[in-house]
Amino acid sequence: MSDRNTTGVDPVLEAPLATEALTTQRRMSDAQTSASFGARLRHDLQFIRGRGALEISIVLALLLTGYIIASLISPTGFAFLNPNNLSGVISQAVPVLAILGLAAGILMIAGEFDLSLGANITLSAIVFIKTAESVNLWVAILAGILCGVIVALVNGAIVVYTRIPSFIATLGMSFFWMGAGIFINGTTPATLTTSRDETMVFLFAQDFGFFRSQLIWLIIIGVLAWLFLHRHRRGNHLFAVGGNPAAAEAISINPKRVKLMAFAIFGGLVGFASILIAVRTSSMQPGGSATEDFTLFAIAAAVVGGTSLWGGRGTVLGIIVGAALIELIRNGLLLAKAPGFYITLFVGVTIVIAAIFNKLMEGKAR
Amino acid sequence: MSALFALKGVTKKYGPNTVLNDVSFEIGKGEVVGLLGDNGAGKSTLVKIMSGVVQADQGDFTWDDAPVDKMNRDVTERLGVETIFQDSALVPFMTITRNIFMGREITNRLGFMKMKEMDSITAEVLDSVVTIEGIKSPKQLVASLSGGQAQAVAIARAVHFKRSLLILDEPTSALAVRATEALLNYLTHLKSEGVSSVLVTHNLHHAYQVCDRHIVMNHGRKILDVRREDTTVEELTAAVVEGAEGIRRYREGRF
Ligand SMILES: Nc1ncnc2c1ncn2[C@@H]1O[C@H](COP(=O)(O)OP(=O)(O)OP(=O)(O)O)[C@@H](O)[C@H]1O
Ligand SMILES: [Mg+2]
Repeated sequence: MSDRNTTGVDPVLEAPLATEALTTQRRMSDAQTSASFGARLRHDLQFIRGRGALEISIVLALLLTGYIIASLISPTGFAFLNPNNLSGVISQAVPVLAILGLAAGILMIAGEFDLSLGANITLSAIVFIKTAESVNLWVAILAGILCGVIVALVNGAIVVYTRIPSFIATLGMSFFWMGAGIFINGTTPATLTTSRDETMVFLFAQDFGFFRSQLIWLIIIGVLAWLFLHRHRRGNHLFAVGGNPAAAEAISINPKRVKLMAFAIFGGLVGFASILIAVRTSSMQPGGSATEDFTLFAIAAAVVGGTSLWGGRGTVLGIIVGAALIELIRNGLLLAKAPGFYITLFVGVTIVIAAIFNKLMEGKAR
Repeated sequence: MSALFALKGVTKKYGPNTVLNDVSFEIGKGEVVGLLGDNGAGKSTLVKIMSGVVQADQGDFTWDDAPVDKMNRDVTERLGVETIFQDSALVPFMTITRNIFMGREITNRLGFMKMKEMDSITAEVLDSVVTIEGIKSPKQLVASLSGGQAQAVAIARAVHFKRSLLILDEPTSALAVRATEALLNYLTHLKSEGVSSVLVTHNLHHAYQVCDRHIVMNHGRKILDVRREDTTVEELTAAVVEGAEGIRRYREGRF
């Protein structure tokens, strides 16, 4: 009894009922401390399962096993285990998509979308390249990320203050940002030439054999994103606003401010990813469609990873696994020499299936 | 009893509908006030205005005899007002703990949440305030709870954070007998702590049992404001069901 009072709960509340001897009831707080390891594990598994990350991880593991077997049987026909291929997929393609997926996912958790993601990449990459060429690398990194943030914040301000659905607002703005890229650079590609030195490559595109710089960045960003989303109060507010804006407001969380914050984080991550993309490819075509696919792929990674299209649900781990799954399948199709449009076809179907699956999961949790 | 919170001339329109019409009343320190009335009488709107989530078109508010210029949620939060809303303001896909501490997380200096501490407080509050069955863990999603269990979470949150005024909008509508009794007992107990409360309910027997004073609303107007000693369940019933006419008939019949 005595330790109960330390939490500030009125002791009187426990007393008044004659209907049942409450003391004999198994109390939640006791049950918690005495739970066996097995029970806790089962609970944790259920916890992950309820959030959709377990199934997707199993799918990923199965696919990976299949690829490894296929590659062992036919090392040349299906060169998955070729070190070049491995490091290209695992530490180049996956990290970039995963970072973009985290960007899109964080915004989706807050209940919004940004369909100008691809245009943002183009513009931020151009800003990065031009600054690197004319000033230096460090200013360029800042400029690239800042460009991403500003683009996203302008989109966010339009969405938050006009209450236009973010689908429409950001789709429209995506053409504007594409145009902005041409405005500052003309129609010729922006290219990294003298500035693409050892430091830049080491930071953003170095091949260390089994892994590349991008993988390190994914690990750093993944950990930071996890700490922010799942452990920080601001991350908690993101889920609250996406899950039930009215409830958040009733507790004096300001939904507009939280959404703007989500847009800013989204922009920062997109800006950073565009640096990774620019350094790897060395150039960026203004107004080009090279980056357009990223918009859909990033949302696909988030959705496949269990992020709700209606806001309020999603996990960092799920999104990274989702990105890995998409890139693995893309790689598999490539290795099997399937025509390019198969990939688009596949991603389209995957989004729909994943969305249906998420919907079912939400139904189950109710 | 000195007034903790006073409303004067509160009027609220939704489009052409006048939902609240010149409503004035006071809530004393440590007083339990029953807010009664038929469906659509304006009770929940009044609750939302008192808790600062909806703004009145007209009306003056005083707190501890000092005027409150602008009523909003930040102000009421500072004053120590906690509300259990009728359309329970919970986030389904967050855990019980995260719902209870939403916006008021216990954190370290960097803003990182102390999950263990919040979980154990949640377990304590749920165990003691609303002794409700079947909630297994503070880590359960609210979406997985029954209606009554979710209501218990909303109650636990308000009870944990209340400081001066607790507003309850039909808090017992989904609760079984035992949990209802516990909650009503709790309101009586709050009085001794000097915490005021406003109880909105359609169960006039419950209201009569615990409230020191009763306010009956009818089509957005206050038609009755009486202390418990000066009324009966029958009069309250007449007022709620038939409005001002009912009160008049009841009094004529009695005197
Ligand atoms: N957001 C809103 N927009 C328009 N009309 C509203 C809104 N909220 C409430 N109303 C109207 O205001 C009137 C009073 O509603 P309110 O919810 O305050 O009633 P109540 O007394 O709480 O009823 P109940 O006992 O059914 O909960 C109703 O006619 C309702 O239709
Ligand atoms: Mg109501």
